Amino acid sequence: MSLNALELDALTEIFNVGVGQAANALSQLAGANVRLTVPRVVMLSKQGLSNELTENGSDDRICAVRQAFSGVLNTEAVLMFPVQQSLQLVQMMVGDDVPLEQLGEMEQEALAEIGNILLNSVVSGVADVLKLQFEGSLPYVELGPVQDVLFAQGDPTDLVLSLQIDFAIDTLQIRGFMVFLLDVESVESLKATVRQFLVSLT
Amino acid sequence: MSVSGQSGQSDEASNCPPWAHWLLDHLQLGLLVLDAQCQVVFVNDWLLVHAGLTRDAVLSRHLLEVFPQLKNTSFERALKQAVASGYPTLLSQTLNPAPFPLFLSTRQRGQDKVLRQSIRIVPAGFKASGLMDQRYIFIQINDVTQSVIRERLLKAQSGRLKGLSEIDVLTGLGNRRRLDAVLPQAIRTAHKSAQPLSLIMFDIDYFKQFNDIYGHLAGDEGLRQVAQALNEVFRRPQDLVARFGGEEMVAVLPETDGQAALALAQQALQRVREKCIDHRGSKIATVLTLSAGVALCDPASALTTIDLLKAADQALYLAKSLGRNQVCS
Repeated sequence: MSLNALELDALTEIFNVGVGQAANALSQLAGANVRLTVPRVVMLSKQGLSNELTENGSDDRICAVRQAFSGVLNTEAVLMFPVQQSLQLVQMMVGDDVPLEQLGEMEQEALAEIGNILLNSVVSGVADVLKLQFEGSLPYVELGPVQDVLFAQGDPTDLVLSLQIDFAIDTLQIRGFMVFLLDVESVESLKATVRQFLVSLT
Repeated sequence: MSVSGQSGQSDEASNCPPWAHWLLDHLQLGLLVLDAQCQVVFVNDWLLVHAGLTRDAVLSRHLLEVFPQLKNTSFERALKQAVASGYPTLLSQTLNPAPFPLFLSTRQRGQDKVLRQSIRIVPAGFKASGLMDQRYIFIQINDVTQSVIRERLLKAQSGRLKGLSEIDVLTGLGNRRRLDAVLPQAIRTAHKSAQPLSLIMFDIDYFKQFNDIYGHLAGDEGLRQVAQALNEVFRRPQDLVARFGGEEMVAVLPETDGQAALALAQQALQRVREKCIDHRGSKIATVLTLSAGVALCDPASALTTIDLLKAADQALYLAKSLGRNQVCS
């Protein structure tokens, strides 16, 4: 049970609305123009995602901001960056010249805020367009190998909805992934909702 | 949340256990509850004390009227978004150091330092607001000033330790670790800025004999004297002089072309000769002398760290085979 190309295209457009709002909020916070794009939305297994994240790089440690959303469908939304990129992101947002060496308590909290802005904007965009209601939670930050972050619960064959998110601030480019972990019932309910939405457009 | 700080709302207050106000007022963090119009319906003692306000000045007023400095900030944006979406949100100290004008309580207020704040805005979700008459929002403000100070101290300390770990104890020059950290970065910068980068490798002539004749303590002093001479010649802040091996030292010179590097190397040799350190064991002079090899990292070529060190080493070998006490490139 997965979403077809048409349904994924519709989701890409919906996600881009929320991402646009997040870009405005992040620009205000950074005092610089932050551009965000979602070039690709796919459904794949956790294992497949893990392979994709680790394929080009020796360091498989990532920084993840997690939030749970519950309602008609339940999902854990996770924003993930390679650790090095997350350091660059914080540095850019703070506008500091001094390169960061590691993610301290303060940097992690900044990442939680950045992740919270993105996740809330994207989910509320989806909720508005698809007319769904969710209960949200506060974000928390996790550091570790991809496997630990992704495979903590459930099965490696579980499907996830994965959005590639490209950040551009000034000349710097950073790539992150926003992932929605969904159980079987939630995938079905998402598919049904998107279908309904597509029908309502015609 | 069915707690209210206002009197005369006994219908709400009746749902509230007798210890609720006592608890909320003694929490060591700031708490505010707003109604759906962002009017303050509850504020705890901690917040009043640190804001220097009375309860009457806060209750039943719009939050942005009570704290006008919040207008047009990320806090206001986050609050609006939380009201609209019903999703909790977080404002970090790193990106928003001190949105609320909160200070140490008057008793401790020596320096009038504003408190660093970590803030959570939690609106009632759709389920909870369905149980209430509207969407209430609570705001939690944690004082993280001590954490900020602690992190700053730790960072300063780790910076100092890092500096120490990259110094050669005997000569005070950079050590091999420092060279390994600086050189790749310098090469990258040279390529990026299209500027030349030179590297000079120095070796003390007949140093083994010097140690044999005068002893190792004198040898140590000789190394220190040479290090001092090099520091006197390579004085720009971007220059790095590091001890490479036993009696070998390296100078990394950004924005310096081959000609300039040759001239500087000659100066360094001259400076060491002028120190007139007796060396009976030398076959080419009566005093301690150096040989040097110069290598240039042309921005057009794609030299690596190893290529550059190798080139300098080969030039140094040439200087030695041509009779020492000279510079080759």
